[in-house]
Amino acid sequence: MNLKSKVIRKNVFYSNIPGSRLVLFTFLFGLFLSGCSKTPIRETTVNQPAPIDTTASTYENGVFVVNEGNYTWANASISYITNSGDSVYQDIFQYANKRGLGDVAQSMKILGNKGFIIVNNNDRIEVVSLTNFKSLNTITGFSSPRYLEFVDSTKAYVTNMKANISVVDLRKMTIIKSIQTPYWTESLVRFGQYMFVTCMGSFNLPPADRKAQVYIIDTKTDMIVDSLLLGKDPVSITVDRKNKIWVISTGGYNNYEAPTLSRIDPVLMIVDKTFTFPAQQGVPSRLCINPTGDTLYFINGGVFQMPVNATALPTTALIPANGHLFYGLGIHPTTGQVFVSDAVNYVQSGYVFKCSQSSGQVLKTFTAGRIPGSFCFTTTTKK
Amino acid sequence: MEVKANLVPGNNGYKKVRFDSLLLLPYRDADLSTVLSQVSTIFIKEYSPGNLATTSFRGTPANHTQVEWNGINLNNPMLGQSDLSQIPVSAFNEIEVLYGAAGLTRTSGAFGGVVNLVTNPDWNNRIHAVAAQTLGSFENYTTQLNFIGGTSSFQSNTRLNYTSQRNNFPYYNENTGETVTQHDANVMQYGITEEAFWKIKDKHLLTARVWYSYDDRDIPPQVVGSYYLQKMLNKTLRTVLEYKLVEKYWNFSFRSAFVNQFMNYRYDNMFINDNHRYYSWLNSARFAYTRVKNLTIKPGLDYTYEHVRSDDYSGIKTRNTLGFYLEASYIFNDHISSRLVLREDFLDGKFMPFIPALGFDYKPFNKINLYLNANASRNYRYPSLNDLYWIPGGNPELKPEYDNGLDGGITYNYPSKNNAFFFETSLTGYYSWMHDMIVWSPMPSNPSVWTPQNVSAVNARGVEASLNLKWKINKLQITSAGNYTYCKSTNEKTTSPLDQSLGKQLIYTPENTFNETINLICWNFILGYNVNYVDKRYTSADNQSYMPGYSLSNIILGKSFVLHNFVISLLVKVNNVFDLDYQSVENWPMPGRNYSMTVKFEFKK
Repeated sequence: MNLKSKVIRKNVFYSNIPGSRLVLFTFLFGLFLSGCSKTPIRETTVNQPAPIDTTASTYENGVFVVNEGNYTWANASISYITNSGDSVYQDIFQYANKRGLGDVAQSMKILGNKGFIIVNNNDRIEVVSLTNFKSLNTITGFSSPRYLEFVDSTKAYVTNMKANISVVDLRKMTIIKSIQTPYWTESLVRFGQYMFVTCMGSFNLPPADRKAQVYIIDTKTDMIVDSLLLGKDPVSITVDRKNKIWVISTGGYNNYEAPTLSRIDPVLMIVDKTFTFPAQQGVPSRLCINPTGDTLYFINGGVFQMPVNATALPTTALIPANGHLFYGLGIHPTTGQVFVSDAVNYVQSGYVFKCSQSSGQVLKTFTAGRIPGSFCFTTTTKK
Repeated sequence: MEVKANLVPGNNGYKKVRFDSLLLLPYRDADLSTVLSQVSTIFIKEYSPGNLATTSFRGTPANHTQVEWNGINLNNPMLGQSDLSQIPVSAFNEIEVLYGAAGLTRTSGAFGGVVNLVTNPDWNNRIHAVAAQTLGSFENYTTQLNFIGGTSSFQSNTRLNYTSQRNNFPYYNENTGETVTQHDANVMQYGITEEAFWKIKDKHLLTARVWYSYDDRDIPPQVVGSYYLQKMLNKTLRTVLEYKLVEKYWNFSFRSAFVNQFMNYRYDNMFINDNHRYYSWLNSARFAYTRVKNLTIKPGLDYTYEHVRSDDYSGIKTRNTLGFYLEASYIFNDHISSRLVLREDFLDGKFMPFIPALGFDYKPFNKINLYLNANASRNYRYPSLNDLYWIPGGNPELKPEYDNGLDGGITYNYPSKNNAFFFETSLTGYYSWMHDMIVWSPMPSNPSVWTPQNVSAVNARGVEASLNLKWKINKLQITSAGNYTYCKSTNEKTTSPLDQSLGKQLIYTPENTFNETINLICWNFILGYNVNYVDKRYTSADNQSYMPGYSLSNIILGKSFVLHNFVISLLVKVNNVFDLDYQSVENWPMPGRNYSMTVKFEFKK
């Protein structure tokens, strides 16, 4: 049956054995390969970025692009785009602090001269100086933190994917208490004395079993005082100039139900308006508002624009996707320009487009880091 | 000297390589990832000691390598891939590697191939008892006890192994500019294996196997970032019954196995404490008919039932797979033989894609051991249970992944007259087109939730070359085994206009790998040198960033003392001899030079 066994026993005379030279060669080859490197073998880039002149740059007048990085790869980074001149600086945290930012940078907020970067999968917040982006503090002890909102200059709330809202003392830079929520809390916005926090339900439950709601928290007592039921997976919340609160619910994953845009009257504590998106036709996310508070923006494939007094959802995109994977969205607080990111295929550098708020036309394209997910704009505009 | 071919030529056109117990001897205290990375052509992606080690076989993702223990699938049933760091080498005797389409005789879905860990009885054995203790750097200890005993018709094989690792190695952290010590990388693992073989009149063979393994480990921290303890526990019981009947013109074999696996993942800071309980019942029957001259027809039937209760799935998930199998081997003449493999699976009553594979072997000369082989195949892989049911994100709408492959090669071996010299070499090329490949990416509806989709297409092609020498000069034995692989595995589908990854090498897939092992044996001394080189691995799909290539060298030195029936051996290993500071996977630390010493007592009668 087996051809091999039959033949193996028949021997051919073979006198000159070339083996010795070969053994020696491979041995030496191995030694050569092993012996030559003494510097640590770490990640390298093909096109090394041009050196950045640190003394010239500050980080007080521009746009921070929060690049999530790949989950568990610890390659999160911050890119910085200057307001004047459109210069872009990559990986500024690494550059300023000589260490990586960590695993999954979720979002960033600014208070005064300090930036708060939420590093989701390292359960910490890096507090940096906007003068030089050096780390001032590291706040630890979160449970998959998501977003931060300031109550005042001494206190902030941080939502967590794995339950509880963390209350941070901004003087001590520590978590002082937890507001117990059994479920994943996501997006939050402050309205006067109250904080409106969206709650996705339990991370580990399917959409059918998730209870989506908005918690209303009295920031004086840190107590949940009320809650409102919403569509599944309320991912984004914002407040308009008429003091109405808007929430996008994606409907849960796998198209569990149709997505909705809800308007909350925070005084009456009711949902006073609900727009339902057509089922199975894309999923809206990343709700933002313009500086004047009269126009909403969101991503639903393309970027859509909707006046707060509109009677129906917009049907035409301001910025059509055209094959791009729009991932993060931000509206510039002074110019009103639309910043939208393209995460490409999540495993290479992403892009940021700066677009006109009226025509949607791309004004400038920037390269960013891996998975640019959110934007943070400096609050004061210096010339 | 025992002369054994590592390559198995004449396998009717399908590539098969065997690593025998002699070759595995220096690795008895190690795990499977160490062996494969040092001696095989399979690339091992090692995260950090004590953490995950996964395969990339012929440029395919990890879930396209099926690891089996005597034909029983060891891949994690939920992930569909194996963590090789959890499989101790002491649990088996030999490794056989079935490349590409060769794996179709065992299973569908392994586009890369199948790694089968084999234990076979030695009917000449009467008593063979082994006790071995290994002490290694970083508080790593391994204890092994084997008792193999029996007669010419009955053999029992009992093995116990216990491993405890602290893995508290120092490494240079460029983020802090300091040398720090790795922490929370503990592993505690033990296993008990009992295998019994009965032979009746060279006609009936009955085999019973039981393997219980327990693995409790920390998930160690990365270089960057804060750390909260994460733990993984894995308890698995595998029981197998096999029966084989050999008649003159036909034979029949039947195997039934039951697997009971419990897994727990704990991450207190994230309030995660998830249990997964998996049961499976695997049955396989093969009938071989050889009455017709030069033709072997082998029909077969496989039935697998899987049952999973996971805290991350909604309710209990089950899966019934019924597979029809037909293999026909035909020997045309002394020069040409062939094998046809056909497979059709029904998954929960649904027809899966039909699998055909056809291979040829050609031996042009009578007196020269030169073989040419080629095969063409189609394969599919059904999504893993996590792909389908994981909450959140699992996608029950997923379709199977497809592969169309070609593979061909040339093998030559030369044994000298007196068996003092043996030489074998082979060169294989393969080409594989995979489409509807499953990729997890953030969901548009909720980017914090990832979901799998059939989006990617991959073209993997490459070359594998090997050269093995066994040479005896008076008292000195020299063995040398070298492998080189070239693998181009590229992304062939993009959707976004800015995507720069079209035609680019897949991430963490080295284009070139090379390994070489040389052993010198004399007067019961053994001196061995191993080097393995791994080319750069890209970390971005557009190939703009990468982990540079490196090569690691390891040395072994051993001596055995023989006293009648007793053998006492001492084996010292130096790993990473040149104290290379490297990372295999970005941000996961690896140890520098490290040592281990094994003392082994053997009694053989």
